[in-house]
Amino acid sequence: MYYLGFTPMVRNPLFMAFVFSTPFTLLFILFVASNGTALPYGLAGALTMITTELGLFVGTDLATYKLQNRFQDMVVASPVSPLIYMFGVALSELIFGAPALLILFGLIAGQGATLGALLSCLGVVILLWITTTSLGFFFSAYAPNTQNAFIINGFITTMLSVLPPVYYSVNVLPSFLVPLAVVIPTTEASSLFQGAIGLGYSIEPTSGFAALLAATFIMLLLVSFRMKWRET
Amino acid sequence: MKALQAHQLSKTYRKSKQPALDSLDLEIDAGQIFTMLGRNGAGKTTFLRIASTQLLPTSGTVTVLGLDAVKDAKELRGRIAMAPQEAETIYPLTPRDHVLLSLRMRGMEKGEATKRAQEALDALELTEVADVNSDWLSGGLKQRVIVAMVMRTDADLIFLDEPTIGLDPVNRRRVWDQLTRLKQSGKTIVLTTHYMDEAEALSDSLVIINKGKVMASGTPRSVKAAVTSRTTRVDVFDKFNLSELGAFGHVVTIAGRFRVLTDAEAAKRLGDEAVARNASIAISPVTLDDVFVDIVGEAERGEENGR
Ligand SMILES: Nc1ncnc2c1ncn2[C@@H]1O[C@H](COP(=O)(O)OP(=O)(O)O)[C@@H](O)[C@H]1O
Ligand SMILES: [Mg+2]
Repeated sequence: MYYLGFTPMVRNPLFMAFVFSTPFTLLFILFVASNGTALPYGLAGALTMITTELGLFVGTDLATYKLQNRFQDMVVASPVSPLIYMFGVALSELIFGAPALLILFGLIAGQGATLGALLSCLGVVILLWITTTSLGFFFSAYAPNTQNAFIINGFITTMLSVLPPVYYSVNVLPSFLVPLAVVIPTTEASSLFQGAIGLGYSIEPTSGFAALLAATFIMLLLVSFRMKWRET
Repeated sequence: MKALQAHQLSKTYRKSKQPALDSLDLEIDAGQIFTMLGRNGAGKTTFLRIASTQLLPTSGTVTVLGLDAVKDAKELRGRIAMAPQEAETIYPLTPRDHVLLSLRMRGMEKGEATKRAQEALDALELTEVADVNSDWLSGGLKQRVIVAMVMRTDADLIFLDEPTIGLDPVNRRRVWDQLTRLKQSGKTIVLTTHYMDEAEALSDSLVIINKGKVMASGTPRSVKAAVTSRTTRVDVFDKFNLSELGAFGHVVTIAGRFRVLTDAEAAKRLGDEAVARNASIAISPVTLDDVFVDIVGEAERGEENGR
């Protein structure tokens, strides 16, 4: 893959505060409410949520570049493919999410996670990031205006990272909800994080990983072949 | 060689009944500046977006640089560049970032891109503001940043949708100069405008479109000659009424005065009559503007409606 060239497209530094705010607030509430016992769940949840946010914000940005800046028009009429464009913008954005991720990894290491566990967490972060970035990009194509894109992506973030078993274990869900939860990639990711931190896997890790991998693949295929790149 | 050919090109947007483009036929020679002239809502942007592979037509074909804009879009995209209408700069990038971004994303090597970005910034006199946050720039400067983004790409054909909108007369001419230079370097330029003087000063050939249809096409000179035998215009400021003037030629009302489009002979008679009445008039050759008003049939051009 040739050089992306999108690196100058960095964000407003205030964005960093934004990335930090919700996941760390939830982490804090969980920490206080449980006298510290729920911290590991909070960490797994925050890691999932930040990754999801970072991915979906790419969608919001891409909607802005399309609708407001008309930059996407320029990109469409150029050799850049949708996938390259998406990753270019996503990577330039990741720079701003990186500090939050680093802090969480530090906290997880502080919980006594092994290097192997940390590496598997990193793998999961990457897969989830690709999945949610693609999801954000895909939806951005259908957003009628930038405000809506922002609201839609905020809504999806919540639906993906607060409601499903992200900050808690799948096991506490009533059994009829479990099949529903496991089709959501954030559930798999969080369960894998929880396992790596030493909370025990609530979903069998290999099948969880396979499901996440499949979700990533499907989303990438959707973007490559079904992206509404040219309008009708 | 033809750089662009459209054949029976039509586009009707979903949810809309009127076609935005209606069986459009046109051809553009390579190495030219071609202008599509039309009022707001005439279909200019629609045409440009279809030809530059961003929008699918409802029917008909458009071939750009020998490639079908629908079927060969992937291949074509490497050879064109586009400056969209009303594009905005991206916060918090500087003008230099914008130009670099545009060149680098097309795969240009870094050293070359840096050099060309500087050239583009210099050409549009953006050197002084090259490294400030684009958000601080005035509208005219921002518009020049957008033009600078497509100025030094490797594309063979460059589309610009209303590139001089919002620019003052000095800067409009600066952009014209640069587009002329770009043409001299062998590129084909396809632009849209609703400024008649721009089309007249800049283009090798042009079409006038209205409601998605070609109303006239050719060189600025031939369009003027072909669509009207009226070579002379007489602006009448006072002492005549509409029906009297009708005897001398085609009368349009512009900003409360009358403009008579006519031939030299009738202009002379009207001149004599004006001298007799001690009226104020002004006689001059017709411009493309007059032709446009004439064929689009809009007497009042003051206020343009629609998009
Ligand atoms: N996305 C769209 N959906 C529906 N109608 C549109 C859309 N874009 C443009 N139109 C309509 O198509 C016509 C041509 O528009 P456009 O190509 O933008 O004209 P111009 O660029 O000459 O001002 C107008 O009547 C406009 O309202
Ligand atoms: Mg337009």
